[in-house]
Amino acid sequence: MAESLEQAEQRTFPRTAACLPEIFAFMDGFFAHAGIGSEHRMPMQFVVEEWFTNLVKYSRGGKHDILFELRRLDGRLVMSLTDFGVERFDIRETKDVDVTLDLKDRKPGGLGIHLLKRMVDNIGYEYVDGRSTTTFVKELE
Amino acid sequence: MLDIRVGEKGEIVLSGRFDASQAVTAETFMAALSESRNVDVGDLQYVSSAGLGVLLATQKRLMATGHALRLVNVRGHVREVLHYSGFDQIFEIEAAPPAS
Repeated sequence: MAESLEQAEQRTFPRTAACLPEIFAFMDGFFAHAGIGSEHRMPMQFVVEEWFTNLVKYSRGGKHDILFELRRLDGRLVMSLTDFGVERFDIRETKDVDVTLDLKDRKPGGLGIHLLKRMVDNIGYEYVDGRSTTTFVKELE
Repeated sequence: MLDIRVGEKGEIVLSGRFDASQAVTAETFMAALSESRNVDVGDLQYVSSAGLGVLLATQKRLMATGHALRLVNVRGHVREVLHYSGFDQIFEIEAAPPAS
C-alpha cells in the first residue's frame, strides 16, 4: 500500500480584512511548497477571503485571532478556518442566493458564500465548546 | 493591490486584485461616476464578492438615471465569477479576445 504524504501549515490572523494580502501570501507559499497548480490559486483565495471576511463581520462573540490551516493529502487540498469563543454557525445551512433576479431585486449579502460553495468539492463543520471550524475540501486531480 | 484609473478613451481601467481590502478605494472612485462607462477588466486578476458589491451598487445607481457600466476584456477567474454571480444578466459583458 502506498504511503500517504501529508503537507500542512497553519497560522493565525487578526480579524480584519486588512490582513487579506498576508493570508494570500501565506497561501501562495503553501501552494508552491505543496506543488498545487496555479489554476487553483484564484478560486481557493476566493473561498478563503469570502469565509474569513464573513467570520470577521458576523461571528457573534468573536474577539480572538482566526486560525487558518492548510493541508495537502494526496490529491486533495483541505483548508480550515477556526474561530474561537463564538456561537455556532454552519455554512452548510445557509440558503443560496437567487442569481437570476433582476438588478432592482438584487440585494447585497450572501453572494460570496453562494459562490464559494461552487468552488469546492466538500464542506465540513465542527463546533465544540465555542470553537467553530469550517473545512473546505478541493479535489486537485 | 487594486489600481483604478481613467483610460485614454474615458474607460475605467481596473487592474490587480479587487478584494475586500480594496473595496473602499473603489467605492470612492465609482461614487464620482454619473454617466455610462466601459470598465476594462482585462488586467484584473481577481475579484471577490466585495468587488462585485461595488460594481453592483454602481450599476444600480447609474441605471436609475438611464446609464450603465459595460464590462469589457473579461477573462479567466473574473469571467467565471461574473458568470456564477448571474452578472451577465445585469451587465453588458464583452469577453477578451482569444490569446494569440
